[in-house]
Amino acid sequence: MEKLIMRRMHQGGTEEMILNFGPQHPSTHGVINFLVETDGEVLRRAVPDVGYLHRSIEKIAESVGYPGFMPYTDRIDYVAAMFANEGWAVAVEKLLKIEVPKRAQYLRAVSCELCRIASHLVSVGTMATDIGATTPLVHGIRERESINDLIEALCGARLTYNYHRIGGVAFDLPAGWPAKVKVFLDHFDKLLGEWDRLISFNEIYVKRLAGVAVITGEQARNYGLVGPNLRGSGVDWDCRRDAPYGAYPELQFEVPVGKGFRGTVGDAFDRYYVRVLEMRESARIVRQALAWLEQNEGEIMAKVPRKVKPEAGEVLSRVESARGEMGYYVVSDGTEKPWRVHVRTGSFLAMGIIEDLSPGLMVADLVALIASLDVVAPEIDR
Amino acid sequence: MNQSAATYLGNIKDTVQSFWHGMSITLSYLLRRPTTIQYPDRTPLPVRDTLPPRYRGFLEVDADICTGCQACERACPIGCIQINLEKDAANPKQRVVTQFDIDEAKCMFCGLCVEPCPTGAIQHTREFEASQRSVRNLTFRWADPLKPFPVYKVAKGAEYFPRAPLGSLVRAKIEARRWDAPPPEFLPPEAPKPPAAKAPPPAAPVAKPSAAAAPAAPAPKPAAAAPVPEAKPAELLKAAAETAAPAAAPAAPAAPSPAPAAEAPVPTTPEVKP
Ligand code: SF4
Ligand code: SF4
Repeated sequence: MEKLIMRRMHQGGTEEMILNFGPQHPSTHGVINFLVETDGEVLRRAVPDVGYLHRSIEKIAESVGYPGFMPYTDRIDYVAAMFANEGWAVAVEKLLKIEVPKRAQYLRAVSCELCRIASHLVSVGTMATDIGATTPLVHGIRERESINDLIEALCGARLTYNYHRIGGVAFDLPAGWPAKVKVFLDHFDKLLGEWDRLISFNEIYVKRLAGVAVITGEQARNYGLVGPNLRGSGVDWDCRRDAPYGAYPELQFEVPVGKGFRGTVGDAFDRYYVRVLEMRESARIVRQALAWLEQNEGEIMAKVPRKVKPEAGEVLSRVESARGEMGYYVVSDGTEKPWRVHVRTGSFLAMGIIEDLSPGLMVADLVALIASLDVVAPEIDR
Repeated sequence: MNQSAATYLGNIKDTVQSFWHGMSITLSYLLRRPTTIQYPDRTPLPVRDTLPPRYRGFLEVDADICTGCQACERACPIGCIQINLEKDAANPKQRVVTQFDIDEAKCMFCGLCVEPCPTGAIQHTREFEASQRSVRNLTFRWADPLKPFPVYKVAKGAEYFPRAPLGSLVRAKIEARRWDAPPPEFLPPEAPKPPAAKAPPPAAPVAKPSAAAAPAAPAPKPAAAAPVPEAKPAELLKAAAETAAPAAAPAAPAAPSPAPAAEAPVPTTPEVKP
C-alpha cells in the first residue's frame, strides 16, 4: 500500500489519483477500505485493504473450549450466523465421531435455509441500494424481519442465534411454528414475483449490471470463489448437493447457475439473479423439511459427553453458507480446548479477485462489483 | 439507422414500462397496512409481552432453588457469572452462597449457562429494557453477601422445582434501580461489625498509593469517587477486611500489594482499572 503511494508520488506529473474508498463508505458493506487508483472515472486498479474488523475470533476459540466457542461463531458472519454455528458443530462432531440425530439435522436444515433467505434478502437489497435504487432494501429488510421473528420464536435471538449445539440443536420446534412458517413462505413466494417486477428486471437496473465485471468460470475457480459468486460464473457446484452433509441428501432442490440471464455468463447480474433464484429453492427446502419434521418424532441431541474432550487429531468441515462454502479447520491436541481453529469464509476469497478485476472498470461499477460479490466485513476479517 | 432507431425507441419503451412496474408496486404499498411499529410509546402492549417465550433477555436466578452447583458459571464462555460458596458459620454442614453476580453488561445472551442448570434456577427472561447511566449497575447481585442464601437440596427423583414467576425477580431489581443511580449503588451497605470499624484508617492510605501506582487513570478515579462518597467507605472497608491478613499493606506501598487490594472487593467490577 505505502509502496503504491510512494511509487505514484515519485512518478509525478500524472493525472491519476489515489483515493481511499472506505473504510466508512455506505457501499462497502462494513468497514473495508479500497485504495483506488483512478484516471478520471476509470479505474486503474482497486486494492482492497482488509483487517479493519479483525477480532481474532480464531484465537478466542483456543481459550474458550469447544462448546463455549459456539456463541462466538455467531459473530463471524452476523448476517447469516446459522451457518457459522452449523459449521462449528459439524467440525466438532467429526472430531468426536458423533452421529447427529435425524430430527436435529432437519431442524438444522430448516433454520439454515430460513437464514439463507434472510441473508440473501439483505444481499440483493443492499445491492439495489448500491446501484442507486433505495426502495428494494426496505422491502428486503421488511421480509427479513419476518424471518427474524420466526427464528426468534425458535431460538430466542434475532441475530446471534447460537441455535446449533455440538451433537444437535438447542430447541425443538415451538408449538404452532410450522404453520407460521408456511404462512410466511406462501407470502414470500408471491413476494419474489413482485421483487422481480420491482427491481430484478427493471431496465435501468439490468443495464447497470449486465455485462459488468465479468468473472469467467475458469477465473472463478482459479481465485477460489465459492457459493453464489462461483455459481454466478456458471460453475455448477454446491456443497449441499456435491459434498452432502446433514439432511440435504434427502431433500430435493435445484442449484441455480448463472446462464447469462441478461448479458454475459458471470456478470454482476448473474451473481445477483442466482441469489434471487436460490431464495426460491431455499423456500422449497424449508417446506420439505418442515413436512418431514411434522411427520416424524425423535431426539434433537446426540449423547455428548459432559466434558467435550476430543482425541488429538484434525478435521475440516464444510457447509454451504449464504456466502459460499464455509470451512472450519480444527486441530485438537486432546485437551478441552482446540489447539488451533481456522475459519475459511467466502467473503475473504471474494475480496481476492477485486484487484485483478478492477482495471478498466468505472468507479460506479466497482460498487456494483463489490455489491455483487456480497462481501460482509466481519466475515472477511473474522 | 433504422435498426438503431428501433433499439433506441425500444429501450425507452422498456424503461418506461419497468418504471411503471416499480412505481405501481411502490404505490400499492401506500394502500397496505404499515408494518412499521412505533417504539416504545405507541405499542399496544409492552414489548416484552409480545416477545416469544424463548426470548433470551436478562438472566434471572431464583435463589430459592439454586443448588450452588456452579454449572452455570463453568458454562459461561466469558465468565460473567461469579459464584462464591462458603460454609455457614452457624451450621458447618450447610453451605451458603455468598456471592452470585451476573454482569449483564458483559453477557452476550447466548443461553449456554441456562442449559446445564439442574433445577432451572437460572433462566432468561423477556426483560431487556434496563439502561443504566453507569455500566457497573448492570451487574445483578442475586446473593446478598451479608445474608447469604443456603443452597437448595434437590429431593431424590424430583422433577418439579417451585420457581418464582419468570421475570418477576429481575423486574423488581430493575425497577428498584434508577437509571442514573450512582455507580457502586449495589455494593453492600456498611457492615455493622465492630472489628471492621477500625479498618478504614489503614484502608485510606492503601487506596492512595494504588491510584499513584496506576498512573494511567489518576484523574478519573477521584472524579468518579467524588459524587459517591456514601458508597466509597463501604468498598474501602471491604477491601480492608479482605486484605486484613497481610495487614502491613499501608506500610508497604509497593505496587503489587495495593493493586490487588483495591481490586479485591468486586472481581467483576474492577474499579481502579482505567
Ligand atoms: S447467557 Fe451466555 S454470556 Fe450470558 S451469562 Fe449465560 S453463558 Fe454467560
Ligand atoms: S443457577 Fe443453576 S447452574 Fe447455577 S449454581 Fe444455581 S443451580 Fe447450579
